[in-house]
Amino acid sequence: MSNLILEVKNITKEVNSPEGLLTIVKDINLSVEQGKPVSLVGPSGSGKTTLLAIMAGLDLPTTGTVRLLGSQITSLDEDKRAQIRGKDVGFVFQSFHLMPRLTALDNVMLPLEISGDPQSTDKAYEALKQVGLSKRAKHFATQLSGGEKQRVAIARSIVNKPKILFADEPTGNLDKKSSSSITDLIFSLNELIQTTLVLVTHDLSLAEKCDEVYELSEGQLL
Amino acid sequence: MIRGILYGLKKFWSEVFSGDLLILFLSIVLAVTSISSVGFLGDRLKSSMQMQASSILGADLVLRSASKIDSKYLDLAAANDLDSAEMSTFLSMVITEDDNLLTSIKAVTASYPLRGELKIVNSQGTKIKHFGSPEPGNIWIERKVLETLELMELDKVSIGNKNFIVEGIIEDYPDRNSSFVGFYPIAIVNINDVDAMGVIQTGSRVVYRNLFSGTQDNLERFEKSLEGMPANIRVQNALDIGDNLGEDIANSTTFFNLASLFTIIISVIASMMAVRRYASRNLLHTSLMKVFGASKLFILGHQIMQLTLVAIFASSLGLIFGYGLQHLLLSTLQGIINADLPPPSSRPVILGFITAAFVIFATASPYIKILSETEPIRILRNDFNIKLSSNLMIYLVAFFTMFGFLGALFQDIKLIIYIVISLILVTFSLYLIGRLLIYGLSSMKFSYGTGWKLGLKNIVQRGNDSILQVIIFGLSLLFLVVLAETRTDLVDSWTETLDEDTPNYFLFNIQQYNLDPISNYFKDQGNVVPDFTPLIRGRLLSAARPGSEDINFDNLMEREANLTWQNQLPLSNSLVEGEWWTNGNEVAEVSIDREIAESMNLMIGDELIFSAGGKTFSVTVSSFREIEWQSFSPNFFFILSPAAGRELPNSYITSIKLENSQKFMNNFTNRFPTITSVNLEAIIEQGKSSLASASLAVQYIFFLTFIAGILALIASVYSNRDQRTKETAIMHAIGASRALIFKSAASEFLILGLLSATTAIIFSIALSSVIFIQFLDLIYSPNLLILGLSYLFGIGFIFIAGVISIRKSIYASPMITLRDS
Repeated sequence: MSNLILEVKNITKEVNSPEGLLTIVKDINLSVEQGKPVSLVGPSGSGKTTLLAIMAGLDLPTTGTVRLLGSQITSLDEDKRAQIRGKDVGFVFQSFHLMPRLTALDNVMLPLEISGDPQSTDKAYEALKQVGLSKRAKHFATQLSGGEKQRVAIARSIVNKPKILFADEPTGNLDKKSSSSITDLIFSLNELIQTTLVLVTHDLSLAEKCDEVYELSEGQLL
Repeated sequence: MIRGILYGLKKFWSEVFSGDLLILFLSIVLAVTSISSVGFLGDRLKSSMQMQASSILGADLVLRSASKIDSKYLDLAAANDLDSAEMSTFLSMVITEDDNLLTSIKAVTASYPLRGELKIVNSQGTKIKHFGSPEPGNIWIERKVLETLELMELDKVSIGNKNFIVEGIIEDYPDRNSSFVGFYPIAIVNINDVDAMGVIQTGSRVVYRNLFSGTQDNLERFEKSLEGMPANIRVQNALDIGDNLGEDIANSTTFFNLASLFTIIISVIASMMAVRRYASRNLLHTSLMKVFGASKLFILGHQIMQLTLVAIFASSLGLIFGYGLQHLLLSTLQGIINADLPPPSSRPVILGFITAAFVIFATASPYIKILSETEPIRILRNDFNIKLSSNLMIYLVAFFTMFGFLGALFQDIKLIIYIVISLILVTFSLYLIGRLLIYGLSSMKFSYGTGWKLGLKNIVQRGNDSILQVIIFGLSLLFLVVLAETRTDLVDSWTETLDEDTPNYFLFNIQQYNLDPISNYFKDQGNVVPDFTPLIRGRLLSAARPGSEDINFDNLMEREANLTWQNQLPLSNSLVEGEWWTNGNEVAEVSIDREIAESMNLMIGDELIFSAGGKTFSVTVSSFREIEWQSFSPNFFFILSPAAGRELPNSYITSIKLENSQKFMNNFTNRFPTITSVNLEAIIEQGKSSLASASLAVQYIFFLTFIAGILALIASVYSNRDQRTKETAIMHAIGASRALIFKSAASEFLILGLLSATTAIIFSIALSSVIFIQFLDLIYSPNLLILGLSYLFGIGFIFIAGVISIRKSIYASPMITLRDS
């Protein structure tokens, strides 16, 4: 039986632009084994984020297929893909994307409330504890520092115990000290909750912490 | 979807207090407050007017005839669950041992009156009876009879062959217009005493009435069953009388309708702005929810739940405010409204909820669709803008839904069509002006560094957003200006209606030989010159249309008529059809009140036969007139040409304005004891207080709409505040001074305000003139003061509100602003 959690085949993404048809990623093939962290590196504009969005089912490719957690998500509609994301996928974004009018606890609870988990408060509090922010649970997102915001975002990404965690430049908006502590946190949590990390970064030192590194340049894997 | 609904329920109050839903919430509260207060008030005003009309008749429906009415109608009424009473009215002498007095006798059954109050007191003024008829052999008389005949309680009087004991004094009674003429005092007797009097002989002038009251449904069923009734029986319905009760009340109702219509439109505009901001701020939340597994149905459930809760809570709050405001309005309307009004119906409550649901879902449903279909990829693209192309469709949907709803609500298609045309024209003009502005400004070269130039450049860069703001500012201002003008001119016209020179006394029974002495008396004692009008007592016998046979002239039978003859058209009259006779024209003609002519189915050229002063004569209908009854001048339904009237025996009538009238008239009565005088001051005072109350009510409603307009302006200023805040922070970060940013924002809002206000003022003149002429029957001349003040207010408000909206970001640290955004 295959141990692959993610399998990408012949993915190409094209978009219309004022200059005509633009190819963002071209003919990408890769696979990720369960439990093995992988990273996707490349300079800005190389198509990393687009590829991550397609792999996570946030966007659809122009051609090609993606098999995630045993389902060919490229042939599913948005609601079915959302169902998979809500159950088994976690996300960390470069811009944190916390809801400014919600507390840290409410932000972490969001995925659980969507899935209707009756234990959402306890689980969210536990996740905040795991990222070391239990004392900041009642603070609004606007009252947190950048590093704290990203910790809350990480707590939110692991609160539903995802089988796979996609992180898009998780340290891209942080200073060196915060970056280091967030990196440590991501990898330690990855160990702890036995998830599979797919990390998009242009930071090579961060990428090298993963078991496998894919390098992207001008939309193609090198 | 259920999960989405539960999530929406859970997050509702935090969304409201976070500010996203707050402006929408307030828009709905205001719309419902306005529509329900006007609804509650209108409901009770209508009841009040019906009560007044019923009181004028003493019943809801009356059958009237000059001959006895078949008792089968009483049986028919009983079969339709209606209450009934009978009444016969005739003139007769009330005789004592020493004196007698011509009195209007009302002979009634025990159930009289069915509507209104009958107040009978003893000589000490204590109430002894409130309804019904006296016992057979007893009589109730007006104080004037008591005083003239020098009677005491329990004295004996006789009418014809029947003796009566004076049991009580009539202090108040309904159906005042049912006595023969207002000049005769009345007496009430039991209908069973009529035969014993022996005063009604063949040919006697008696008016027989059957009075009926009951529920509207039963009355309508009964009235339908009356079809085919003999032509000599007239049906009088309280609802018809209610319609004619007063143009002022009708005009105030038109104003209330107009105000609530504008309030709804303005609230819709404010809601559109609020919903737009709410949706664009919710795009991040929704996209995140999608990322974390929310389905389209979850988002739909969440949004619908939140908006439904807004509809429920905001409209409940609006209904409470509306009910309270209505109470306040009623207390100012006491001059017009009866004290004991029935409670309002449930209609305004239902209307309030429907309005709220309509405003919310008309404006929000397109956004709900956009939100539920949001792509989660927006999160990675940091793309949280709703495109204007989507907004145009949204506004079109809101526009047509709004007019469908308003058409159903106000059921005044003419008014709605005028408003739709105005809205389309103004929106299109504002769009063109906005487009021209951007085109003009974009061809100019701007250098950075100068605040106002930067502001102009911002207008160009914002493109469609700037145009949208010009449209919203312009529309909100337009409705406010129109309403301000309408309010002011309406109140002014009411004030003019009863000016200081309104006559306060009517004098009757003036004979030819009295004219000079009375004129001299008034000239010497009061420096007043009375204008005498001939008064001819007559009776309309028949009508004919030359060249036609069998024309059915409705309501013609047995019409008592006060006639006059005149050379000139009276000042308080205006000709609406036909021509006034020229001097020296020796043709016998008559000019008739338009409403009376319509009720009798008369046309110009018809021949009328009158009898007056023992003479029967024919006149040709030559014109119809509109009469201004509130002038308190002597007015007549029928005015004869000099050729027809000058030879007829007549007395004279006049109305005069007197200072210190009580003392003056006491002396006058001593000097001219045969002249009858009627004091109008109480009626005039009542009229003045009614109009003052109506004016106050209009001010309240205007104030409410004004608040709605302000809210719409604030909503549109704040609609792109987030974007402005971010731009301000960037400008700050790259070195722009606070003064420069302030000047840039100030010039931007100043230009937008200037354009919107100019357009709004121009179009308000057009819309006001249509409303004045078509709906209020008033002459429109632009009120320069109101227009000028509105113009300055419009520009000033947009400027100040705009600057205030970005003030915080001007003084905030750009780092914090950019980080938070």
